[in-house]
Amino acid sequence: MKPAMRDRKSQLTIAAVACLLGLLVVVQLRGQAGGSALATKSPQDLTILVGNLNTENDRLRAQVTSLQNQLDELRADRANGATSVGQLESDLGRIRAWAGLDPIAGKGVTVQVSGEIDATAAVDLLNELRNAGAEAIAIEDIRLIARTTVSGVPGSLDIDGVLLRDPFVIRAIGTPETLVGSLTRAGGIVAQLSATNPAASVEVQPVDELMVLPATRRDLIPDHGHPRL
Amino acid sequence: MTLLAARLRAIPSWQITLGIALLVLGFLIAAQLAAEGPRIRYTTQERSPLVETALGLQSAQDTLKSRIVALRTALQEIEHQGAGSAAVVSGLNGRLEEARIAAGLIALTGTGIVLRFEDSTEPIAPGGNESDYLVGASDLRTVVALLWQTGAEAIAINGERVTGTTAIIDIGGSMLVNAAYIAGPYQVTALGPKDLFTRLSAAPGWEEFVRTRRGAFGIGVAWAEPESVDVPAYAGSVNLRASRAVPSPGPSASAGPGGSVP
Repeated sequence: MKPAMRDRKSQLTIAAVACLLGLLVVVQLRGQAGGSALATKSPQDLTILVGNLNTENDRLRAQVTSLQNQLDELRADRANGATSVGQLESDLGRIRAWAGLDPIAGKGVTVQVSGEIDATAAVDLLNELRNAGAEAIAIEDIRLIARTTVSGVPGSLDIDGVLLRDPFVIRAIGTPETLVGSLTRAGGIVAQLSATNPAASVEVQPVDELMVLPATRRDLIPDHGHPRL
Repeated sequence: MTLLAARLRAIPSWQITLGIALLVLGFLIAAQLAAEGPRIRYTTQERSPLVETALGLQSAQDTLKSRIVALRTALQEIEHQGAGSAAVVSGLNGRLEEARIAAGLIALTGTGIVLRFEDSTEPIAPGGNESDYLVGASDLRTVVALLWQTGAEAIAINGERVTGTTAIIDIGGSMLVNAAYIAGPYQVTALGPKDLFTRLSAAPGWEEFVRTRRGAFGIGVAWAEPESVDVPAYAGSVNLRASRAVPSPGPSASAGPGGSVP
């Protein structure tokens, strides 16, 4: 009897340990699977992320409202037999300007870059302008589009194959205060560039008058793709 | 020796089983605690609500983007049936289609390549910087620039179309592209000529990128050349809020103004 009891006791102990073991294996596997990568972010990163998502969602909501209004007007025009040419032209003008196919006008900032700066730093500067909400950017008289690239070595950078002189000026259209604030904040891109490119200086000026940025001269219609149906 | 062997043989089998189970249990508890380590450092009362908020906002963003794509499709359809002078409307629709393709507002399919980048699994060298072992925004900006330079005509990163207003920024080991949160592995899809990868791999910048990022830090770099690639449409806003269109001089000047300067 005694060995049998001891067997039952040992079986219960092993069962309890096995149960705990199984639970931990599941917890560990679920942890490894990751769930959301957000779970490992610091509160600071999460705050920045929430701020960015909020701003973008506001833009997207405005875009939804604008598109919905356009659609409603077009439907109403169509029902009344009215012309929709005016709205088509307006839509066309807006998209062409946004894409860089037409010139664009607005307030914003100028960024004068003097001295030797490397291509990566120039790309980082443009990236920061975009992140701050710039609606259009031009370096000297070259309008930036998605395909625009900056390359070369410090002192002889070129943009889309055109050599940049020293100094060169970047013009960006957007809310001047937002653009200036984003570029010049403590630890921001201008401070970083001063640290990594000591031979260069970057001067940011708000522009409260209308600037006109030119259209791109490049053909943006792809040769190797077609609309997906 | 024979005494030890005899004592070992005398241990009941259930005790051996229990011993092994407890050993595994100890290992798992240690692994779990180690995995929780960095998170514990971040834990604050507000972190959990922040994660929930971020997840909710990302989900709302996905819904808004789907809505925008659907509205643009509906607009295109109704514009094609537009009233007014048939010739004028047809001409405008043709130009609108071209402008939308140029702007990245239409999904494209064609020849191209797919590149994939993953964080390193190598141990961090003594005195090394952890961020060097992660795929960063500067890596993707470099790759995107190299792809444009070697002939890419449309690019998307994890489904986010790269446009003239796209920013790629780091956010604690992950990234924001078009203000959308994306996490690794990162997939860059590029539409371009059939020999796009040959051109890319011949570029000195690509050779340097692979050498410095994969060679030195073990960043995962893989590529594929499928029959065709799909690049999605940009689903973000194209509203002009701080600017207005200026019609081009010349034959394409018929476009009217859009947006307004506040």
